[in-house]
Amino acid sequence: MMLKLGVFELTDCGGCALNILFLYEKLFDLLEFYEIKEFHMASSLKEHDSFDVAIVTGTVSTQRDLNLLHYARNHSRYLIALGTCATHGDVQASVEGKIREKLEKVYGTKANPMKALDSTPIVQHVAVDYALPGCPYDKDEIYQVLMSLAKGVEPPTKDYPVCVECKLNEYECVLVKRGIPCLGPITLGGCNAVCIKSQLGCIGCRGPLPKEANPASEFEILKELGYDEEYIRRKFKTFARGELRW
Amino acid sequence: MSIEIEAFTRVEGNGGAEIIIENGEVKDVKVKIFEGPRFFELLTLGRHYWDVPDLEARICAICYLSHSVASVLAIERAFGVEVPEEIMLLRELGLLGEVLESHALHLYLLVAPDLFGYADAIRMAGKHGEIVKEGLTIKAFGNYLREVIGGREIHGINVKPGGFGRYPTVEELERMERQSEALLKLARRAVGIFSGQEYLGAKAEHYVTVNGYLYGDKLIADDGEHFDYFQHIEEKTLPYSFAKQSRYKGEVFMVGALSRLMLKYEMLTPMAKHLYEEYKEKFAQGYVSLNNLAQAIELVYALERTGEIARTLLDKGFEGENVPIEPKEGEGIGYVEAPRGVLVHHYKIDEKGNIAYSNIITPTAFNHAIMELSLYEEAKKRYGSSDEMTFLQKMEETVRAFDPCISCSVHVVRL
Repeated sequence: MMLKLGVFELTDCGGCALNILFLYEKLFDLLEFYEIKEFHMASSLKEHDSFDVAIVTGTVSTQRDLNLLHYARNHSRYLIALGTCATHGDVQASVEGKIREKLEKVYGTKANPMKALDSTPIVQHVAVDYALPGCPYDKDEIYQVLMSLAKGVEPPTKDYPVCVECKLNEYECVLVKRGIPCLGPITLGGCNAVCIKSQLGCIGCRGPLPKEANPASEFEILKELGYDEEYIRRKFKTFARGELRW
Repeated sequence: MSIEIEAFTRVEGNGGAEIIIENGEVKDVKVKIFEGPRFFELLTLGRHYWDVPDLEARICAICYLSHSVASVLAIERAFGVEVPEEIMLLRELGLLGEVLESHALHLYLLVAPDLFGYADAIRMAGKHGEIVKEGLTIKAFGNYLREVIGGREIHGINVKPGGFGRYPTVEELERMERQSEALLKLARRAVGIFSGQEYLGAKAEHYVTVNGYLYGDKLIADDGEHFDYFQHIEEKTLPYSFAKQSRYKGEVFMVGALSRLMLKYEMLTPMAKHLYEEYKEKFAQGYVSLNNLAQAIELVYALERTGEIARTLLDKGFEGENVPIEPKEGEGIGYVEAPRGVLVHHYKIDEKGNIAYSNIITPTAFNHAIMELSLYEEAKKRYGSSDEMTFLQKMEETVRAFDPCISCSVHVVRL
């Protein structure tokens, strides 16, 4: 029995939906178990009934997004919030100010005929069954979750910081050795420390480590390296709004 | 009355159209971009220049590297920094990767199902698996270039002001040279497949591009003038769309692959130039759907040029050193050809190196007006003579020809 899959894209850069196509041959492995019923970036087919799994990407940034999210939730057994927009709000949710002020700055008018809202992550609006962060998320993670669901096993979860994978790759610590601001110690791992491979610091795109993060200590380290408080504050909130407190 | 296209499919982002009918005739068409606004200019205000390209990359997934490079070019110009040729060539490799990734996605996964009569490439793969596979192979190679140069397939942070975090290795450049050569025959086949597509939409009368093939320091139009975007391009806000519309000297114009071929065919690589000449008469027709054939020829260009650059860098070697940057007050514009067309990043930076003003204009915003005109022309031609299914299908195909990137289009700051 094929499972029915829907991919719903709210407001975002399109990368999380695109990354599903970047699974290449693994996508065809998934299609042994799943029938795609809705995926507007990839298909003109729309069969609006019910879904075994709904993947939702992006932030709620308009009334239309919110309606679509409720639709997806009410018509699916499992709902996966995919990508940092969906799980933490990502960059667009970190833009400060009220929606009308922001609209005025960009469009020159406070009118809001298209019903824009302040961007928020979907986890703030509906209950989700799985939340996979990452801007973008690691492709293997969504593959594993979809495969696990198809086979009826609980998908694995990760709970360690980026530093773990950085050490496993034997990369030089850019924070300690080179004084480059790196959010690796307080950011959830799972990206294989991809940015430290470029000898640059982690920018925190997977959101804060859920349990044992110590943002206060990271804050002190960055201050000692000479970065001013405003700079650090903005860096902390870029992908996860105000979630990292110190 | 009006006919509503609720949401375009097989395009990136969320948008639709309203076709207004009066007295049995098509009166007007509105292209509605209802993807939520993303306020990137506001996001970058007050941010330190070093972090800005990484944030701007997140405007778009399909063309993240175009955004990083445009951002870096604007920052370097603001500080008066010049980087050596090798750094520009490496950046160009990333941009070429993006052209390959983006055009292959568009042509093989989004447009080809129309040519073969399927709802999507997945369903098309049953009978035409070979073609879909070829497309994915080209796309994967494009992504490989993006990963090596940009640091990641999507939203890498390796492209920095003054240079790179990590430079490619000799092995990586050798692989680029080898693979680009091997994939050329697939790209040539793509040109054959897309040369038969029917004419759709309006005839483009004006084209705007960047003065170099993939990056430059000015814009050019079909009248030959070199200019900065704020001199001749006017933008206006619409009540029904989060994306604005632009005019060049008051005229509707087009950006993208077709525009690049029309204005810059002299810069093409040998095989791509030969192919352009073969279809020159066709291109002169100007129909916007020819953009797809132009993209196929650009696959050939991108592969030839990738091989050329990899060879050059392997032959002469490179230092792999970044140019040091001292922040100072300044203003700079970065002009890049994203796969879909002209992309502009414009910043003013204060003496501490923080962004004080930011303006970004993306290709889909530039194309918004001609997209609307094209739907109007196509709707006028078909309304009443096609059945509703065909009518709507052709409307979608017309929009798709622009390869619209709606996510990019929704955050343009007031000029």
